Amino acid sequence: MPLKFSPSLFEVNNLNFERQGSLVLKGVSFRILPGEYCAIIGPNGGGKTTLVRLLLGLEKPTSGEISLFGTSQKRFHDWNRIGYVPQRSALVDSTFPATVREVVGMGRYARRGIFGFESAEDKTAILEAMELMGVSDLSDRLIGNLSGGQRQRVMIARALASNPEVLIVDEPNTGVDVESQHRFYTLLRTLNRTKKLSILFITHDIGVIAEDITRVLFVNQTLLVSQNPAEMIRCDEMSRLYGVPAHVVCHNH
Amino acid sequence: MEMLNYPFMQRAFIAGLMIAVLASLSGSFIVLRRYSLLSETLAHVSLVGVSVGLLFGMSPLWMAVIASLVASWLIEYLRSVYGMYSDSVLAIFLSGSLALAIVIVSLAGSFNASLFSYLFGSILSVSVEDLWVMGIFGSLAMALLLVFFKELYFIAFDEDVARAGGIRVTMLNFMLVSVIAIIIALSIRVVGTLLIGALMVIPPVAAIRFGMGFYPTTLLSMAIALISVVIGLSASYLFSLPSGAAIVLCLLLIFIIALVVNRR
Repeated sequence: MPLKFSPSLFEVNNLNFERQGSLVLKGVSFRILPGEYCAIIGPNGGGKTTLVRLLLGLEKPTSGEISLFGTSQKRFHDWNRIGYVPQRSALVDSTFPATVREVVGMGRYARRGIFGFESAEDKTAILEAMELMGVSDLSDRLIGNLSGGQRQRVMIARALASNPEVLIVDEPNTGVDVESQHRFYTLLRTLNRTKKLSILFITHDIGVIAEDITRVLFVNQTLLVSQNPAEMIRCDEMSRLYGVPAHVVCHNH
Repeated sequence: MEMLNYPFMQRAFIAGLMIAVLASLSGSFIVLRRYSLLSETLAHVSLVGVSVGLLFGMSPLWMAVIASLVASWLIEYLRSVYGMYSDSVLAIFLSGSLALAIVIVSLAGSFNASLFSYLFGSILSVSVEDLWVMGIFGSLAMALLLVFFKELYFIAFDEDVARAGGIRVTMLNFMLVSVIAIIIALSIRVVGTLLIGALMVIPPVAAIRFGMGFYPTTLLSMAIALISVVIGLSASYLFSLPSGAAIVLCLLLIFIIALVVNRR
């Protein structure tokens, strides 16, 4: 009987990245498996966002291999299997003419193709994503007129509208109030546990998701992977990794 | 309506309405991407093409199309590959092309009257051949804008997320600047090189003031451009004004009304 093999969502081998002659990432290797909820932490400028941008094909590696869903990134085309919520996504130009419905609908564009009109399936996916994120009642509002927390939910709804298998979220809480952050963390946990959505989450606020995550990737030019998040976020370990005295506060949001 | 009995006015209106739709539609994307100066820059570059055409006895319109297209690719290449600031690249091309056009004009020294109509637009200058060129290239530009409308909108909203979602951003950016280059070159007969930027930028900027979604904003932007062209061309006929200047003054008036009505 053949072995049942579940390919990695992401597989990175000996990845190096230089920018203008200086090394940003060195010898990075790791695998992300389906259903995982991984936190990527590390100091500012350590290469967290660069690593995500490399995974998404937004930057080209200097050397090394990246595979997505078992396919080399160079031959990979199913980008709609990955949902992406970038850094500062809640900071939208206040005058941009886009309604919430239009922004969430963008999540379906790649699936629709060039000549594709919005199908019944597209409409259903958009409505479901909006309902899941609690922004259905904001449908006709301009994105620029929403609060930071509401915009954040719209951006996640856009990422979810493509029915991704993995969600990459890059420090999404800039300009977002504490209550919205609480809702956000609860939602990520729900998506991971009930919808089996894999999550890759860049954050500085590791204490708040310590109970939810399966692994921690510490990025500071090189990569350190911990299978035991509770062990890694100990104050002495964090102090050692960050190189400055660290005091970790674990809290329920 | 008596003016519509004249063939030159019929041609001017057909050309003007075509340009109004194309300029306002493509203008929406460049305004949202903070790239408004692109239209002004390519208009100046197309002046180089016009000067070369007049100097060597070739079609100024065709030469303007070629010059504008080549410059648009160079600008996009420098911006995307070399990572140069957009506004710096545009400023270099704007002043550089104007300098080149002035040198060519001064070398020739004999076609200043013709050049004046290309600078400010003239309703008398639209020929049947121009209409054919505008019809063919205008239809092509319109088809490309409509086919890639949603992708261009996504890129304007968030280029990185569009790229991460599998949208071919680099190819579409080159396509958009090419389409804009063609539209600008086609527009110079009616609006003139110095004023076409206004027809691309003012309608979407005025429409955005009304705080609607992208699709209604685009339609309103087109309506503003069409109204301005109709009133501007009529004023040009009635008061013997340069057509480009008359159209731009109408646009400015509508923009001021949009500002006053939507004080926020």
